[in-house]
Amino acid sequence: MYSDNILGFETIEKNLKAMAFKRLIYSFISILAILFLLSSGLTIAEENNAGSFQRGLSKFFDYPVDLFKEAFESGWRWYAYVFKYLPDLISTINMAFFSTLFGAIFALLLSLFASKNLIKNQYIVTLSRRTMDILRSFPELVIAMIFLYLMGKSELPAVIAIVIHTAGALGKLFSEAIENADNKPIEGLQSCGASWWQRVRFAVIPQVVPLFISYTLLRLEINVRASTILGFVGAGGIGEALSAVIQFRYGDEIIAIMFLLVITIISLDYFSRFLRGRLIGDNK
Amino acid sequence: MEQVLNQNVIDAVDLKHKKHIRILIITGFVFLVYLIGSILHFDLPNLAKKWNKDRASMFMLDIYAHKDHIKMNWKDPQKIDLRFEGGHRHVYKDDPTWLIRNKNNQSTIVNFDNGGQFVFFPNRVEMRNFPNINEPFIFKLNKNGKPYVDGYVGKESMLPSWMRATENKVEVRPSLYERLQVYGSKVEVHRYELGWKYFWFDFDSPLVGKGFFDAISLMFNEDRVDPKISNFNLVVNEFLENEIWHHNTVLFAMVETLLMAILGTLIASMVGLPLAFLAAYNVTPLSSIRFFLRRLFDMLRGIDMLIWSLIFLRAFGPGLFTGIFAIAFTDTGTLGKLMSEAIENTDKKDKEGIQSTGANKVLQHRFGIIPQILPIFISQSLYYLESNTRAAVIIGAMGAGGIGLHFLGALMTGNDFENVAYMAILVLVAVMCIDTMSAKLRRLLIGIEDKK
Amino acid sequence: MLKINNISKYFDQVKAVNNVSINVENSSMIGIIGRSGAGKSTLLRTINRLTDATSGEILFQNQNILDFKKKDKLEWQKNCAMIFQQFNLVPRLDVLTNVMLGKLNEMSTVRASLKLFTSEERHAALNLLNKFGMMQTALQRAETLSGGQQQRVAICRAMMQDPKLILADEPIASLDPLNARLVMESLRKIHDEQNITVICNLHTLDTAKQYCDRIIGMQNGEIVFDDLPSKLTNQKAREIYGAEADEAFEGTMTSVSLESADIKKTA
Repeated sequence: MYSDNILGFETIEKNLKAMAFKRLIYSFISILAILFLLSSGLTIAEENNAGSFQRGLSKFFDYPVDLFKEAFESGWRWYAYVFKYLPDLISTINMAFFSTLFGAIFALLLSLFASKNLIKNQYIVTLSRRTMDILRSFPELVIAMIFLYLMGKSELPAVIAIVIHTAGALGKLFSEAIENADNKPIEGLQSCGASWWQRVRFAVIPQVVPLFISYTLLRLEINVRASTILGFVGAGGIGEALSAVIQFRYGDEIIAIMFLLVITIISLDYFSRFLRGRLIGDNK
Repeated sequence: MEQVLNQNVIDAVDLKHKKHIRILIITGFVFLVYLIGSILHFDLPNLAKKWNKDRASMFMLDIYAHKDHIKMNWKDPQKIDLRFEGGHRHVYKDDPTWLIRNKNNQSTIVNFDNGGQFVFFPNRVEMRNFPNINEPFIFKLNKNGKPYVDGYVGKESMLPSWMRATENKVEVRPSLYERLQVYGSKVEVHRYELGWKYFWFDFDSPLVGKGFFDAISLMFNEDRVDPKISNFNLVVNEFLENEIWHHNTVLFAMVETLLMAILGTLIASMVGLPLAFLAAYNVTPLSSIRFFLRRLFDMLRGIDMLIWSLIFLRAFGPGLFTGIFAIAFTDTGTLGKLMSEAIENTDKKDKEGIQSTGANKVLQHRFGIIPQILPIFISQSLYYLESNTRAAVIIGAMGAGGIGLHFLGALMTGNDFENVAYMAILVLVAVMCIDTMSAKLRRLLIGIEDKK
Repeated sequence: MLKINNISKYFDQVKAVNNVSINVENSSMIGIIGRSGAGKSTLLRTINRLTDATSGEILFQNQNILDFKKKDKLEWQKNCAMIFQQFNLVPRLDVLTNVMLGKLNEMSTVRASLKLFTSEERHAALNLLNKFGMMQTALQRAETLSGGQQQRVAICRAMMQDPKLILADEPIASLDPLNARLVMESLRKIHDEQNITVICNLHTLDTAKQYCDRIIGMQNGEIVFDDLPSKLTNQKAREIYGAEADEAFEGTMTSVSLESADIKKTA
């Protein structure tokens, strides 16, 4: 009995040591892999970049300084342009809002069919999940550019692209939330003879709505950034305005637009954080 | 237990119901107004008009089919010109089986898979045997050298819908896969076939016509096709240097884009984590440093990838660095902010436990905080890697290079749609691979049960 | 009225309910006893059609309710109210709405989705809440109530359905003694006043003996006892409960052991 115990301790210690050694090896390998990736990647970058890293670094501040210089030379009245571009900004935000709204609606529909606790048919669940995977895998730009090419310059291609991407991205989060929802209320309503949709409406949605809104707000923020970028490649709004003034090198207007963008993104960040904080707090 | 029905409660319930109905009506109204407003604003009623049908069908067709151009000059009817996709250098040396030259009556027959034929004669083109088309149409040139449909001069409106005759051109398209254009100077037939031809090896390659498996088996075959180099190298070279599909450029561009995403995320997480420690109140006592770092994170995030890439584009020129740094800068802000919050939310007990053993500050953090935040850190970094793969494509299109730029370029040419589709699929596959790999890695590293 | 013929339910190889037959001629209050895992819950869930039986038939007013599909099935579930151990209310909705959800089966989808309840429905629900002493909580969220209060709301929801049959699956297993008594009295009152058959899964013997007209004992998915409460000898009861006998016998139905048994079950 006594000797057995000794043997037990020894084995445990041996195992512990082996585990510690294994962890050390793993950490070592991952650090090596990261270093290798970093060095080889940066070498490839250095070789294929138009300008070298060092020269680029020294020129890092050139562009911002140039912009401010131009703005100063033209009389430092860039803030007057803020109001000129306000409508463009609103149009971009609206583009993001509209597509987030409809993206979320599609995401909700898709996520219902991708949740195992709501759909018993395994094929439908898998099909919906794969659909969402594909929808969110395409970068918005790819879809937007194709539609821009097919239907001419307007905001619509960007809206379609963002709706598609949002439906996929939110759908995944939504269905995860639904699957984590408490099953008891669903069963409770089922026992009263409530139909499938009634169970979804009254047992599932009330449970997940705070989480859904919080995810959607986060997505809205991402989509404002995305619709700006899509504007930059031709989908209207403030992005297009920015791309135009950059081509004509109007320093003061560029500053005005960048100022608007930064302010919008930061305030949206704080606003959605505040709302989400309240919603999640409300949930508890 | 039973009480008298309380009027106050009834009133409160009725009031709540009224309020509910009012809110319903107002939200419904606002939603409806916004919907109608947006539909008008985005000009949805004119969607069908805007939709460029010809472009769309060409686009779709090009994605899954390829075409051969068959051209005849009225001046020299015997010289039939045969090209793949009309390319300058892709002229067929031998006649394909679907083309029959009849020396006796100087005609040339272009056969289609559905049985239909376009037959070139020195003075006319005949259309024969197309399914569901009983009338043999004949196209000729008049005295002024303008094309016309025989028997329909002055009665152009009587022509079937798939045929259009204008003064300088007669356009015939019985189905998507056959097209005939008759001009005053020439006749051109486009013959479509399904599939991506020459995807593996191009027109002039010694390996032309070999499929994927043929090529693989050839790779390990000792008998050299080209005595100068080994078969393995030959196959790889010929594949990469495919002039129609540009595999080497496209694949390298894809690698560039992935590098942008991976290196950008890596740098962001390696810089963001230490900064996050400095910005957390339970690590850094100095509030000024914390305040400064918090604002730095806000700035990095707020300036957004778009503006960062514009700035870096000027500094580094188009290339990997622009993408890497635009991603690294934005996400240093995002990850820094996220991680500093995670550090502040860590359980104090762990750290105090370590403290009680008399460990110094650095060790306290090492064993008291890092084990708690490491899983969050890894999973967040991997999430950002996923979204940055898509972002890298977008930054690329704005000028930083990589697959994004090539995609835009191919789209702008207006006829290389098969390349557009190729790149779109490549991006899709790459993004999905990164997603799956990061999900696997996440599970492996932190053992989070993936709820399926 | 209710006739259960040779019902079986297998989960893979496990026979949860094995060849069970019960005949209920007249309206009565029936208690089903047995240790955890004896198949009591599965039997009730089969009757409500929450789970499908492997074989057998259940006749209610001479119709086999296991044959019901879609609309008929929902209609049956409406007629056959169920009360759960964990109440199964919707936590984030207010009490009144929770009660009115009992009427879902009779409402059109659009009207239900927009929560457009009629004033009759609202007042009926309020009356029910009043009857079970829950009126003051009408506008509170269900999640803010105690367990006993939630169970009474669940009973109100069941009554809102106008049921012809009430199934109660361990209705008091998660409740404190006082609330347990209130809930059992409510069920008995419903049976006495409206002559509705109540079938109640119970873990403790006392409760069953005190409130039910007939006791059915289940063991390993089979019925081993079916008679008047007075016919249940201590020895037979010990046999039914097996190792859990001491718990089931200990004290009155208000004993603390109820909770420990519950913990055991969830563990």
